[in-house]
Amino acid sequence: MMSDEKKKIDLNSAAAQQEANNIVHGTFVKQGTMVAFPTGFPGATIPILADESHITALDVSPQGFVYGGTSGKRAHIFVGMFHGVTGMVLDMKAVDGATHCVAVCCGKSRFLACVNGPSGGTILTARLQPWPYDLIQEWGFERPHFEDLGGVAGEPIVHAVADASRDHVVGVTAHHLFTVDFAAPKVQTVAEVLACGRIALGSKGNIVGPDGQGHLWRFDCSTQKLEPQAFKLPAGRWEKSPAVWARSAETGLLFTADDDGQFFSFDEQRGFSAPLGKTMLAPVYCMAATFDGRVFGSCGSGIAKMFCYDPRRREITNLGAAVSLFERRRYGYVFGDAVTGRDGEIVFGEDDDGGHLWLYFPRIEAASA
Amino acid sequence: MSREIGRREFFRNSGASLLTVGAALYPRDGMLAAAPATPESPGDYKVKWYEFTEHKISDTCWSLSVGPDGRIYAAACAEGVPGGVVKVTRYNEAKDGLDYLFDLSKMVDDPGDSGRASQCKIHYSFAPSMHDGILYMATHLSGPPIDQPAYSPWLSWHDEKRCFRGSALLAYDTKTDEVKWWETLIPKEGCRCLLHDEERGLLYAISYPRDHFFIYDLKTRQRRDVGRIGSINAQTLFLDKMHRVWTTNDYGHLVRYDPEKDRLEMSPFVLPHNPEFQTGWHSVFYDVAPSPDRECVYAATWIANSYMMRIWPNEGEWPRIENLGPATQKRDPTVSKDTFVDHCGGLTFAGDGQLYYVASRWRDPVYNPMGPEHKQREGVVWRLNPATLEREEVTCLVHPRELAQYVSRGAVDHNGDLFFGHVGSRPSGIFKVEMPASRKKENAHLPIRMWG
Repeated sequence: MMSDEKKKIDLNSAAAQQEANNIVHGTFVKQGTMVAFPTGFPGATIPILADESHITALDVSPQGFVYGGTSGKRAHIFVGMFHGVTGMVLDMKAVDGATHCVAVCCGKSRFLACVNGPSGGTILTARLQPWPYDLIQEWGFERPHFEDLGGVAGEPIVHAVADASRDHVVGVTAHHLFTVDFAAPKVQTVAEVLACGRIALGSKGNIVGPDGQGHLWRFDCSTQKLEPQAFKLPAGRWEKSPAVWARSAETGLLFTADDDGQFFSFDEQRGFSAPLGKTMLAPVYCMAATFDGRVFGSCGSGIAKMFCYDPRRREITNLGAAVSLFERRRYGYVFGDAVTGRDGEIVFGEDDDGGHLWLYFPRIEAASA
Repeated sequence: MSREIGRREFFRNSGASLLTVGAALYPRDGMLAAAPATPESPGDYKVKWYEFTEHKISDTCWSLSVGPDGRIYAAACAEGVPGGVVKVTRYNEAKDGLDYLFDLSKMVDDPGDSGRASQCKIHYSFAPSMHDGILYMATHLSGPPIDQPAYSPWLSWHDEKRCFRGSALLAYDTKTDEVKWWETLIPKEGCRCLLHDEERGLLYAISYPRDHFFIYDLKTRQRRDVGRIGSINAQTLFLDKMHRVWTTNDYGHLVRYDPEKDRLEMSPFVLPHNPEFQTGWHSVFYDVAPSPDRECVYAATWIANSYMMRIWPNEGEWPRIENLGPATQKRDPTVSKDTFVDHCGGLTFAGDGQLYYVASRWRDPVYNPMGPEHKQREGVVWRLNPATLEREEVTCLVHPRELAQYVSRGAVDHNGDLFFGHVGSRPSGIFKVEMPASRKKENAHLPIRMWG
């Protein structure tokens, strides 16, 4: 029960009206702008079916196209184009028998998608999409041919990333580490690992991934050498492992968060930082870093809140709940992956029925800030 | 939200302008042809207002339904008052007044002064059960905590002290007048609308704010979240003969849950909407009434300049849909009209086999310059003939103090009289429209509508 003095509220007062406005409007994206873009070509196609469109994997190609994969009743592989005279998402393939896309990785001329289904993991690859003609005028698309590279030791795939050169992909299943050479696509099982989360490209070009609950392993792509327990995780709760990474393209610095949302940076040379702050909700589901070093992400279950870690201020800010007023009028509740777009915008993949690609354009900071 | 008439302001001020009376159908293109004059006159339909006098802070009546006993149940909701709670009422024909059955917050142990968003309303969520005389009801949110001027479920989702506890589902026995049991139907969320598939023992609900589709098994008392539909709740679900449950999505497409497929499917078509200034966006169902033979339903959309339609769900892969045109008058398309002013609701079939509903009408100097004999805004009761699709004005709802253009739901009781829930006065209340004897029949409420 509330105390009596709290019960008196004058709804007509300016203060109450101000508070009401803050409650209603101050709840949503407080900095920058989010645009929810459907998984189709607006006006020309329907989007991916609602229960097949949970976006769970994203990557960006050298030309700035956003490649992604969905989960749900059936997994799809798509590409989104938001620059030049484009503005569309092409549903390149519905993968029969697959219900979860865990990774999409872009090379220089090809990309690769890792999907799982009841019968295990499968890796598919195809050529990157060329630029289309002016999508306000005329267009024509054909679904590309995908090459099925098969699975990895009959296990579900956990995650995969492209290496620094974008010549190879390094991925993990629950028990194995594998590589794929884009030039001659073939899956090679390289080593045994205990994989329990997403992996990332480190600051010196090696791949790191969770090694049990206390360490990271490191994989050198050039020598194909795996170094178990290469880095010790900082103090925190890592029962679910550091499943989420953001990487600064400028510095190679990685960011991650523990189960409670404690935020850390990681550098291959210096290891983990001291805690940089804590997100207001946990877990952190996905995040990505923009060009000035700020990291944007999504945290909290049910109705997620967006956050920003600003390295200059060393603080984490609550950006509120996701809402889109342009292209689609939509609330955003769950996000499965995030990448940095061509111009530093953050592209979030909505892991929900009727999932959209959410382009987040951060607020431009004042020069004196 | 209109700055001139915001949601809360509307609740407070809707009686502000009381210009009076008259009757002249506004001219409009594309409207259903008016039926020729009948021997009846508006005077044959006695309109009476029943105020929620024992719930003076009530500001809305979102739910009004006929119960399995043929009597009218109405929710006296209080969403504009911090800490407001809903009380359930029933029309008592013997005393020609309302009985106050219970304060719902007490029944579910969630008092208005809890500090959380309160159990303030039942929103299109009465659903009857004919075999045992139960009336199911589920609560909805938006009433602020007692010490807050407003409530945002998005803001308070993670706030244990503020977050709405959840939609409470109650089983009210209309034979013994007791709440048999209750439990939380949807944690943290409200129930926007409820439907009962009695043959299968399932309740269906749409949650707010996340717009998820829920199935509740009455036997096992287990809920299942089937998935998200979009961002804008449809205000109604309806059931077809094949036990499929229908609603709409944000962009005016039919959404269908087929138990055989256990999947939400979306129709390729956009529902009828105004081609000049609407796109189909927000053309979600507001109200849907089944035809007595259950072969089709009549629906109105939840957007200013609501469109009416007839849908044949049992025909074809996707239903045949007939566009019955706009329910309300023409207006300036360059400015959006207040949703509480431009509205259609209260769809119900009566004992005469005709569809009745209430559509708003308002004075507009260009598009509808009604004379001083009219009020500024009026709730017009219309009759639509299913055979000819002709419609005619039956009467106007007259509130003793306020304007009465917004009706949420309508129902016909076992005697064949019409009742409508009103939104826009405090206290809120319901209207009764007594039907001429020639249009009444015993058990006019049967076959009963199974959704709110």
